[in-house]
This record gives sequence, structure tokens and C-alpha cells, in this order.
Amino acid sequence: MTAIVGLIAVLVAFVSSAVLAVRGFIGMRKGSANVGRSLKWPVYGVVGGALAAMSVLEIAILLDDFSIEYIANNSASTTPTLFKVAAGWAALEGSIVLWGLVLAIFVYTVYLQVARRQEPDPLGAGALAVLGLITLFFFGLMLTVSNPFRVCVELASVGCFEGSNNPFISSVAAFEGRGPNALLQNHFLMAVHPPMLYFGYVGMAVPYSFAMAALMLGTSGSQWLQRTRAWTLVAWGFLTVGIVLGGLWSYEVLGWGGYWAWDPVENASFIPWLIATAFLHSAVVQQRRGMLQAWNFVLVISTFALTILGTFLTRSGVIASVHSFTQSPIGPVLLWFLMLVLVASFGLFATKIHLVASSPRLDSLASREGVFLLNNLLLTVFAIVVLVGTLYPMFLEAFGGAEVGVGRPFFDRMAIPLSFALLLATGVGPVTPWRSAKASVVWERTRTPLRLALAAAALAVVLSYRNPFFLLGLISATFLMLVILRNLYYSAKKVADKRETNLPAAALHVMRSDTGYWGGQISHFGVALLAFGMVFSSNLSVEDEITLTPGDTATVAGYDITYVEQISRTEPHRFVTGAAIEVSRDGRVVSYQEPRLNTYNTSSQAVATPAVYESVRGDLYLALRSINSQTVVLGVLWFPFIWLIWVGGLLAGLAVLWSRLVRKPARDSARVAQAVADER
Amino acid sequence: MSASTRQIIGWVVTIGLAAVVVVGMIMGDTRDDDRVASLGAAIKCPVCQGEAIVDSPSETAQAMLEVLEEKVAEGLTDDQVFAYFTDRYGDGIRLDPRFSPQTLLLWLTPVIAVAGGVWMILSRRRQPELVSEEAP
Repeated sequence: MTAIVGLIAVLVAFVSSAVLAVRGFIGMRKGSANVGRSLKWPVYGVVGGALAAMSVLEIAILLDDFSIEYIANNSASTTPTLFKVAAGWAALEGSIVLWGLVLAIFVYTVYLQVARRQEPDPLGAGALAVLGLITLFFFGLMLTVSNPFRVCVELASVGCFEGSNNPFISSVAAFEGRGPNALLQNHFLMAVHPPMLYFGYVGMAVPYSFAMAALMLGTSGSQWLQRTRAWTLVAWGFLTVGIVLGGLWSYEVLGWGGYWAWDPVENASFIPWLIATAFLHSAVVQQRRGMLQAWNFVLVISTFALTILGTFLTRSGVIASVHSFTQSPIGPVLLWFLMLVLVASFGLFATKIHLVASSPRLDSLASREGVFLLNNLLLTVFAIVVLVGTLYPMFLEAFGGAEVGVGRPFFDRMAIPLSFALLLATGVGPVTPWRSAKASVVWERTRTPLRLALAAAALAVVLSYRNPFFLLGLISATFLMLVILRNLYYSAKKVADKRETNLPAAALHVMRSDTGYWGGQISHFGVALLAFGMVFSSNLSVEDEITLTPGDTATVAGYDITYVEQISRTEPHRFVTGAAIEVSRDGRVVSYQEPRLNTYNTSSQAVATPAVYESVRGDLYLALRSINSQTVVLGVLWFPFIWLIWVGGLLAGLAVLWSRLVRKPARDSARVAQAVADER
Repeated sequence: MSASTRQIIGWVVTIGLAAVVVVGMIMGDTRDDDRVASLGAAIKCPVCQGEAIVDSPSETAQAMLEVLEEKVAEGLTDDQVFAYFTDRYGDGIRLDPRFSPQTLLLWLTPVIAVAGGVWMILSRRRQPELVSEEAP
């Protein structure tokens, strides 16, 4: 029954997608005014079908319907409710359903924007048509190689051994399900990180669709670009937050104290992020100066293609990773889809580009647009390096070459210098004038921040912190932060003088009058905080391993760590054994922590879960290495100011809200602020 | 104090601070160079999913880390340490691939990407007056 209802929902979305694509293309060709009306029902069909499919799956999981293969193998009756909900997307087939739902939500929001327009909107109709093709593909997956509603026909000892795509076949229901992967039911972020990441990842389909529609229509001009950039900004914000939360999850769950391992799947989310970031910047150059039109198409198409590549890498099992699922027939299908996207998009690009691209040339490299080009160069090279490093072992093996591992040392060596260069460019760029910048002007705006940054580093040297990476990181992050603050201070001071208001009010006024620019500056400020967090936590960390018997105390990084007693308890879905730890500082108890080993009913191997004492000064990270009746072995790590990474990263992503939601001040007073902006 | 004097003082201060930092960097890190950590980050845990032995809590990784500590304590060079592990687990154990014909493209890609990008940017610059406007 569940299978039949679920598949009907998917089928509705599938058929509606086809109708949406056809009617969308017709609407684009005709350019009729009432395109919203003809697309209304197909859009409702896609959204309704997607919502129904996800709901049916979630309800069936909550009701422990183990006659469905996916549920029997990825949930259990003892799984806590939160992780039952997360089980809806924590494995392959369910993740495709979430993908479809998120895409449908984007289809709906684009549709609302298109339907609201009075004038004909062939661009919007074309974009919806392309989106229809993409949803057609994903709902097609759910009907064939990635069916979440397969009914179970043969039981395994736990869970389901074999399922069938035929929903009418008589099914067998397992008595108990296998439960989610142990690692995926350990932390509440598992319920937040994937949806966030999906909104970012899937959202990149929207700018891609607008770009395709613009190419098909051969429309030059800025309309496609404005709409595309706005959508990219939304998706980018989600992607940023999703990546940061993923780092936080791995820090809090995996137990080695790191947040980024250059895991292929982390890379798969980071590469499109880099290219989308490049586009957000180069789009500004096109808006202001009419340059880089062809390049912007390349960036938008690449971002979308990279999200499909990332899906292939994650979902096909070609790479070994904490994220990868088992071997599945979905791999080749996704690879073919990627090929199709690449050939169709760049084919269209090659035939139509003469219609849309006419680039004025660069006046001078020393200008805002020059720095933007540098930014694009650095981000693109960064993306290429990570992409090649990720795929190289796979390709070499596929072509019969030697087995080669490419890991953290390789990526770090490439990423660290690129990141320093990016931080410096992020500082200089926003205060460099357009067209042609005099060196004296840029110097005046950056010399004080540079001197203060150097002074901070000199102080660090005197205090005998002499690691070159630490010093370079400190200089670039301090420089970036101070340039932004100086810029805001002087802009606000001018407004305050002219309007005779106080400085904070003037600063707010400045930031509200040009939300695009200042949204970007808030985001850059977040990047600077994140850089500080990385520099401090990686270079000033303390690592130790301590062995304690009950009552013993050891001191690490100024904290006294006392082993109180061994604890163990049985919960419905797992057996927990751990160590009760008292953390004190200067003789005062500051926290109780419980690093532990969780053994889930459904798997034999214990999963270690670290305990983290968080404070403003930093995190004391306790990982249980081993425990028996006498002693406990703890890995203890001290990460100063690591919280700056999460705060900075989230600020960088959420800064999008400033650009999108903050209303500009009334026009007459905006003129003053505009005068200030023009001087910039 | 005249404007030019202030400018000179500014430069002296900037260069002085930079000199302190550069000298500090050359004098090097005062902390011990942790070879076990850096080598451990470059050796893959063979039973894990693409993690280095310093990053994995698994027993295999911990055992390999202990072997690594012994080898470093014995005074083996980095190359000798890598040779010890690749003899036993194959070249794929290294997460920091050696420069070889097989990895040539991997190492050259960043260079090619930078060179290509710089060439593209320079070729898009407005040409000097003499040669401009010849091609359509």
C-alpha cells in the first residue's frame, strides 16, 4: 500500500515535469504574457508529487513499515524519532527523494516570480522548462534505479535481503529494521546539515536554468545575469552554511578533532562552492562594466555540472569515503546525465555565444575589475587543483595505472598559499576604485590595516610564536578585518558629518544604502573570523594522550582532567560505555564531560563519541581511546578559539540575508550615502 | 612635522615591522617539529575510508601510528619511513604522492591552470594604441 501511494506521488511529479518542460519551451518560444497560467498546474503537480513522496516515505519510516526495503535497511523501531526523520535522507534512495523535493521547492519559488510579472517573460518560462527537464530526470531515477518504495520480497536475518520495483507484488515485512548507519545517528546535526547542503547544491540548478534559457533566446544584456546572480546568492548561502555545519558535524562526531579532511565528498561540495563564489564576483564586473559575459556562462554551467559530478561521486560508490553508500546501478546513470549536461550546455554555449558576448576590454589591471579577475583566477585554480586531486587516483586506476593516494598533505600544500593570496585580495579588492586605480589611493586605504597586521605579527614573534604559517595567517586575517572596519568607519564618518547623526546610526545607514556591497563585506568579515579560527586552532593546538585510573588527575593546556568513574547504560537503540570526567581550571570545576563508546544494536563495532568542553578561550576535546575496569585512555586536544570557524563560516553564509532582505533607506537620504559610495 | 617626514616615518615603521616578522619566520618555529604528526598525515589507514592514520580512531591506524613513532625514534629519514610502509602496503598508502611519470599531470595541473589563467587575463587587456583595433 505504502509503495503504491508513494509511487503514484512520484509518477505525478514525473509526468508534471514533462508537461512543465514542454509548456515552458512553448511559452519561451511564443513569449506570451500569461505564461504563468499555462505553467500553473504542471508546477503544482511537481511540487505536490514531491511533497507527497517525501511525506509518504517519512510517515512510513515513523510507522516502522518494514515491508519497504529502504526502511527495513535504514531504520529500526528503536531509532529515536529525530534520527527516524533523518533516515528519510540518510541513505541513497531517500537522499534522491529529498533532492527531488528541494528542486521542486525551487521550481515553485521561480514560478511565483515568473507568474507575478505583468510583461511577457520568455526567460522565466525557458528557465522553468529547463528545470522541468532536471526534475524529470530525478523523478525518473526514483521510478527506476533509485526507487525508495521497493517492496521487500526476501528477508535477511535483520532487515531486507532483496526488494522488488513492482509495488503490487506480495511483500514480506521484516520484524525489525537494520537501523541507520551508526555514524549517522550520533548527532542532531545529521538532521540539519544534509537539508542545508541540498538547498545549496540543488539550488545551483536555478541559475543554470536561467543561463540555458538566456543562451537559447540569445538575449544579451543584464536581465538574465541579475536574476541568475540573485538565485546563485540564495543557493550559495545555503551551500556555505551546509558546508560549515558539515565541518562542525565531523568535528563533534568523528573523534579525531578535525573538521576538514579533504575527503572526496567534502571536496565535491567545496568545488562548486569555489566556482559559484567566483561567479558571484565576476557577475558584479559584468553588471558594472559589461565585461566577462562569456566567462559568466562558463562559471554558471560549470557550477551545475560540478554538483551533478558531486552527486555521482557520492552516490555511485566509486570512491571510499565516510559519505559513500553501497554499490548501486545509479552510478552509470548519473555519469550519463553528467555527460549529457556537459555536451548539451557547452554545445549550446558554443553555437550561441556570439549573440550574447561582446566584451569591452580591461582598461588597467590595477583596478577593481583587475582584482576581480585575480579573484576569479585564484578561485578557479583552487577549484581545478581540488578537482584534479580528487579525481586523479580514480582516473589513474581506471586506465590501469598505479595505485596512488592523494590526501591532506597534497591539498594543504596547494590550498594554503592560495588561501593567503585570496585573503589579501579580499582585503585590497573592495577598496580599489573601478577602471583605473592610483596606487596612492589604494595605499592610503590599506596602509594602516597593513601596519597594524604587521605589528600583531611582530608581537607574536616577540612572544615566540614563529611558525611561518601562523604568522602569515595572522597577518592576512588581521589585514582583511581591519580594511573592512576602516572602510566602514570612514564611510560612516562622512555620512555622520553631512547628516549630523551619531556614528553607529551613520554606519547602519551606510550599510543599508548599498546592501549588495555591504552584504559582501559582512561575508568577508565572516571569512576573516574563520581564518582567525583556523590559524589559532591549527597552529596553537595542544595534543596529549593520558591514561588514568579512577580518582587520577592529569593536566593538559591548563585544565585539570579528573577521571571520576566508568559509566555504562543501556538505551533502547544502543549500549553506552564511557568515562565520567571532571574538568577544572585553577581549582574550580568548570564542566563534567562524558566521552563514550556507543554500540548500536544493529552493528557490532563500537563508535567512539568525543566530548567537547566549549569555552570562549577554546575547546577542550576529549576522545575515548580505550576503557576497561581499571583504566581509561583519553586523547586530549586543546583548540584555542576554534569556535571562530563556526561563527565566521555561518556569518559568511548568512550575510546573504543582508543583501536580500534589508530594505534601503528612503531615497533623499540615500543620496548622501550614494555620494560616499561613488567616492569609493 | 611635515607631511614628507611623516611619510618617511610611516615607511620606516612598516619596513621595520615586516623585518621583525621575516626574521622571526627565518629563525623558525620554537615548537618542536612534530615529524610523527606530519608523516602520519601522509600515510593512509588501509582499512579506513580514505583517512590518514593520524585522523582515524581505528585500531589498525593506531597500531601503524605506533610503528611510525618507533621508526621516527630510530632516526629513519622521511624517505626511509615511506619506503618502510610502501614496501608493506604498496604505493597507494602514501597520501602525498611522489613525483613520477604517473603523477606528472597531477603536479603540473596547478602550473598549467595558473599559466593559462594569467595568459587569458593579459590577452583581454586593452592593447597599446599602435596594435589596437586591427582585428575586428
